[in-house]
Amino acid sequence: MSSATSGLDTSKFVPGTIVLPDVSNDPALKRENITISGSTPSTMLLGVGLIALVATIVGGAVVSKQHALASFHVGACTALAMSLGGLFFLQATSLTNAGWSATIRRLLENMASLAPICGVLAAITPILDFVVFKGSLFTWMNPEYSSDYLLSKKAIFFTPVFFFGRMGLYLVIWWYLSRVYVARSLEQDRTGDRSLSAKTRFTASWGMILTALSIAFCAFDWLMSFDFRFFSTMWGVYYFAGCAYSGIAALIIITQALRNRGLLKGVVTDEHYHDLGKLQFAFTVFWAYIAFSQYFLIWYSNIPEETAWYVARKQGGWEYLFYTLCFGHFLVPFLVLIFRDVKRKGTALTFMAGWAITMQVLDMIFIVRPMAAINEVEAQMALTNKHIWIDAAGAIAGIAIFFGLFWRVCASRPLVAVHDPRMAEALHHKNYV
Amino acid sequence: MTTLHPDKITADRLAGRARPATESMHDPVIGDGTLIDDPGVRPPLVLNGRTFGEVTDIVCGYAENAPPRWWLPAFMTAFGIAQLGGLFILYLVITGIGTWGLNNQVDWAWDITNFVFWIGIGHAGTLISAILCLFKQKWRTAINRSAEAMTIFAVICAATFPGIHIGRQWAAWMLFPIPNANQIWPNFRSPLLWDVFAVSTYATVSLLFWYMGMIPDLATLRDRADLRLRKMASGPILLPIVPVRVDAIRAYVYGFLSLGWRFSARHWHRYEVAYLVLAGISTPLVLSVHSIVSFDFATSIVPGWHTTIFPPYFVAGAIFGGFAMVLLLLIPARALYKNFADFVTLRHIENMAKIVLLTGMMVGFAYAMEFFIAWYGGNKFELDVFLQNRAQGPYAWAYWTMISCNVISPQIFWSKKMRTSTIAVFVVAFLVTIGMWFERFVIIVTSLHRAYLPGEWHMFWPTPVDIMIFVGSFGTFLTLFLLFMKFLPVFAISELKAVLPQASPHWDGYGHGHGHGHGHSNHDHSHANHANKEAH
Repeated sequence: MSSATSGLDTSKFVPGTIVLPDVSNDPALKRENITISGSTPSTMLLGVGLIALVATIVGGAVVSKQHALASFHVGACTALAMSLGGLFFLQATSLTNAGWSATIRRLLENMASLAPICGVLAAITPILDFVVFKGSLFTWMNPEYSSDYLLSKKAIFFTPVFFFGRMGLYLVIWWYLSRVYVARSLEQDRTGDRSLSAKTRFTASWGMILTALSIAFCAFDWLMSFDFRFFSTMWGVYYFAGCAYSGIAALIIITQALRNRGLLKGVVTDEHYHDLGKLQFAFTVFWAYIAFSQYFLIWYSNIPEETAWYVARKQGGWEYLFYTLCFGHFLVPFLVLIFRDVKRKGTALTFMAGWAITMQVLDMIFIVRPMAAINEVEAQMALTNKHIWIDAAGAIAGIAIFFGLFWRVCASRPLVAVHDPRMAEALHHKNYV
Repeated sequence: MTTLHPDKITADRLAGRARPATESMHDPVIGDGTLIDDPGVRPPLVLNGRTFGEVTDIVCGYAENAPPRWWLPAFMTAFGIAQLGGLFILYLVITGIGTWGLNNQVDWAWDITNFVFWIGIGHAGTLISAILCLFKQKWRTAINRSAEAMTIFAVICAATFPGIHIGRQWAAWMLFPIPNANQIWPNFRSPLLWDVFAVSTYATVSLLFWYMGMIPDLATLRDRADLRLRKMASGPILLPIVPVRVDAIRAYVYGFLSLGWRFSARHWHRYEVAYLVLAGISTPLVLSVHSIVSFDFATSIVPGWHTTIFPPYFVAGAIFGGFAMVLLLLIPARALYKNFADFVTLRHIENMAKIVLLTGMMVGFAYAMEFFIAWYGGNKFELDVFLQNRAQGPYAWAYWTMISCNVISPQIFWSKKMRTSTIAVFVVAFLVTIGMWFERFVIIVTSLHRAYLPGEWHMFWPTPVDIMIFVGSFGTFLTLFLLFMKFLPVFAISELKAVLPQASPHWDGYGHGHGHGHGHSNHDHSHANHANKEAH
């Protein structure tokens, strides 16, 4: 690829030809302002995650293994969505030469670097279901269905080697991309070489394609294939919308947590919050657009093979979850986040971010949990069966582990990529309206 | 140093009255700086060190001076083609839509293809004016005005097709829910009716956005005409007997259109607020219009039409085709108009090429998803549409034209050399325009031409009436665009000035801020960045 190298022609910006504004003496970039001391929150969060995980396992042993497995998967898929959101925004800001985001770039990198770990979490359920439970959730793994006509049509896709091979491929993609971005960024911290940013920009261009494909197909494999009869071309975009939505929310929460500890003063300002809030708002609307389009087209055409999926989720108590998502995932945040003051105030925005992650959890529950109810006759009324604590435990396990690891990664390196070539622009970033 | 007041010097410099005679424009290493890839540097958005005065003169000059020599022949040709299309529409109205190649099986074909094609073209303008505005992409300033104009003209072309497709064109008013004596109402459950609302909303908001943005520039044209009249330096007398001067007409018409704009701070403030509000309103429109167009197909249960990814897929395709059209218009304009390339630089072309590459791959992603789910869904008929009727079969040539133009041809934009070669970009834009037309043709015709029973299979071939009405719509489009280029401000003057380096209050003059050192990285910085730096 000769074009690849032409995009990386560093001879045109050897330091010295053009001198960038020097921000190294900026008080905002002082060491104590951009480094975490101690990892107590991380340990605590991981502890909470572990306790929740144990609670989920206990739930599985005592109440229902499907229920526990589904709940764990809900938490894992939420964590994966957040980290993939980080990977997406990291590449998107790099590709668009965004200036304002230079101060939060490191946080995005930290989030992205969790993608392979969260991917492993999300891979546990299918592996367990395949090896131990023999398709208690993923119906296609169930030997009972092996003679199903529809399944026989798509059997190639569900060959164990192919299915788990794909899974490994996603993990490799996320691991490789995040590792490359983080390694370059840390190298830039040491050398200040801004051509590394250009290299990352180029990697992000094809990395984005791999990200798009891996998000779409991991959503097919880990969420849609629960019910092998169901299919929707929008599915990948739907999960991506959730990724971007919850990714921005996780970023806001971690930023606010750091600011509460007196860090990132003058680095991540209200101006950055404003922009993060705008993105949160934008992806609230984008998710609603995608979710509505998918639901509406299936509802309007009314073909049984597609509507079955929604019909199962609009009865047995799940319909309340459906309406909760309509209001809570879209209408409420839409009406709240539209206000400028909400977006610029850390506390208000963090509340909305927490709300967003809750909604992402409910969205995952809406997709995953009814499957356990469908497969397990005695748990038909799953939502009202008094064992909501298992759902809570599963979700908390995934989220707490994610944030615990996130904090740990944040503590291991400076919070800001100080030598980002657009640092001056980001530090002085302003929204005029 | 000088006895003149320093403010006077600054004012003169800004107005372009005291520009140094000799000035090295280009840095030996980075050239004009447009194509520099350094992530720390914002490339200049306006080249050749234009001053505020020069920007006004150049942009107003396009409307004030005699048009270039090619303009009149081009206009007459486009207008002639538009008239020819009009004649064929007249013939269609008199004779009936049996003159089209439609038949019992394929009852939507060229007409709806053209409708979706033109509606899609418009989306780039809305994206540039609304979404890129919200994203603070300053490079949009050089292309937004012409892209918005293109949007309006494309919607006009698009609206023609459903209008004449209904058969009894004199009853077209019944598309709107107007109370009538027969109590006949449109079907509110039909996406075709939503189209009427979506497209008319889109046309209204786009027109408002475009027009409102032009008001200050129209006022500039008005004032310049007025000034020339007062100085008795007006243009030629229009009629030898009635002493009407061209500038008098200009002052009157532009004055009427500029709605009493006086360049006061209060006016600017209101303008900025209104602009932002309109950008906010237009943003959902970018998505909604083509989503509803996609509902025309996707709400049905026709194999190949009913698929849930249609809304975002159509939107991405619309932006894709729209940017290709922007490039098709601006690349020749850049070559044909003097000084045009100072504002629409190679960087602008490159950015648009990147968007074409991105949206082209989004469309490719959607093609792949459709294919994959057609197989995965296990529905024989769904798969047959893709495998037998599209990838193979009598319309395979159309399908593969679509794939090669939309998915393969933009891939050359991975190379920077190609992205910055106006010829390569023009060729790809041309191919993409063809490919996007074929995309709609493939979706519509290949799904319809073979129904479940082989007895219902029928081919569609266009008649000369089909072809000429489509060609005529290009004539209309170009006629309107050429008129726009001649009579209206082609660039947003105030926005162009805001991205000039001297717009910064801390700009330190010629010869220093250009191409070297600190100043270079600040080309794109706005006032407050500097103000802030001082404060820190």
